[in-house]
Amino acid sequence: MRIAVDVMGGDYGPGEVISGALSWLQESAGSIFLVGRSEEIEAALSGQDYDADRLQVINTTEVIAMDESPAIAIRRKKDASIVVATGLVKQGQADAVLSCGSTGAQMAAALFILGRMEGIERPPIVGGIPNLRGTQSLLIDVGANVDCRPTQLVQFGALGSAYASAVQAIANPRVGLLNNGAEETKGNAAAVEAYGLLKQQPKINFIGNVEGRDLFSGDCDVIVCDGFTGNIVLKAMEGLVLFLAQQTMREIGHLPSIYQAVDYRQVGGAPLLGVKGVSIVCHGSSKSQAIQSGMRIALQCVASRIVEQQEQALGALI
Amino acid sequence: MQEFIELARKILAEQLDLNPQDIALETNLEDLDADSIDVVEMVMALEDTYDVEFPEEGLENLSTFGALVTALYEHLEKVKNG
Repeated sequence: MRIAVDVMGGDYGPGEVISGALSWLQESAGSIFLVGRSEEIEAALSGQDYDADRLQVINTTEVIAMDESPAIAIRRKKDASIVVATGLVKQGQADAVLSCGSTGAQMAAALFILGRMEGIERPPIVGGIPNLRGTQSLLIDVGANVDCRPTQLVQFGALGSAYASAVQAIANPRVGLLNNGAEETKGNAAAVEAYGLLKQQPKINFIGNVEGRDLFSGDCDVIVCDGFTGNIVLKAMEGLVLFLAQQTMREIGHLPSIYQAVDYRQVGGAPLLGVKGVSIVCHGSSKSQAIQSGMRIALQCVASRIVEQQEQALGALI
Repeated sequence: MQEFIELARKILAEQLDLNPQDIALETNLEDLDADSIDVVEMVMALEDTYDVEFPEEGLENLSTFGALVTALYEHLEKVKNG
């Protein structure tokens, strides 16, 4: 297992990302490529204890900033860390790429370098939401595509369904559309049109609209929304958990174990779906522990062959 | 040039799931809900067809379909003519 880590993204700089990558290196038998400015990487590695045979530094000279147009930047900056790291997966030198830099740039790199699966216009990010049945419902998209056409929402439904059957072993996953009401006519124009399109898909088990309060019921295996909505939902959840954790600490002096399972700082990352390679998107605010968790998710994705499994399941759906 | 424009129009229409007639030279790309990924994908498809590499400089500043295809065509002509 070889993971290409783009160390240049993230709010806390290369040191934090490298620290997480080294922790993963210690617990696993895999190897890592640290991709970014070599002088910064060498500085962060200095004095650290690691197996040098399983670590390779790849020097890059460019970085894609958060405010750049992702697609144009991917073409213009051929030596950007996310471009080079994704290229390692394409060339078969790495099994997965992980980044906490610009999500748009990572999505564009995955799309242009790894390539998309047939029938998929844009790769979404899938996030897991704990539910009352003790499993995880999938929220898709949690941030890769802020504006989505109705047809793309249908594709997210197909991808989520394929992922749930392939990775979670759920037979005939129930797919819902996140909306502000249960009725077919509820929502904005894109949601109403997406509802009609999803209803017509014979191979997607569409159960209708899902309201925000029902996200955690477990009545739905795959919840579809655009990346703008999904990202707000995800971060609102994270904020609510932090708020409740602080209030709980004040009131009873300790935190029940459930908080660990829903603490985003420990979750790490989530895969981009619909592309021909494993690309793990991490929070920009990821610290060492989250990076380590993200690398575990990369390992799970590679071990469960999510790319091949999605392609197989998608072939039956689209 | 007309052939080039028609091919670009066809590619973009397919990407955006639109009728090619919906894309006029003066049509604003934003009005088509075309983002930078759509534009770059169209450019890449044209690169494959014409076996040329288009520069990305200035692409994000071209607001209409006509301005975009004209800029690409001018580059193609420049390459062809050495």
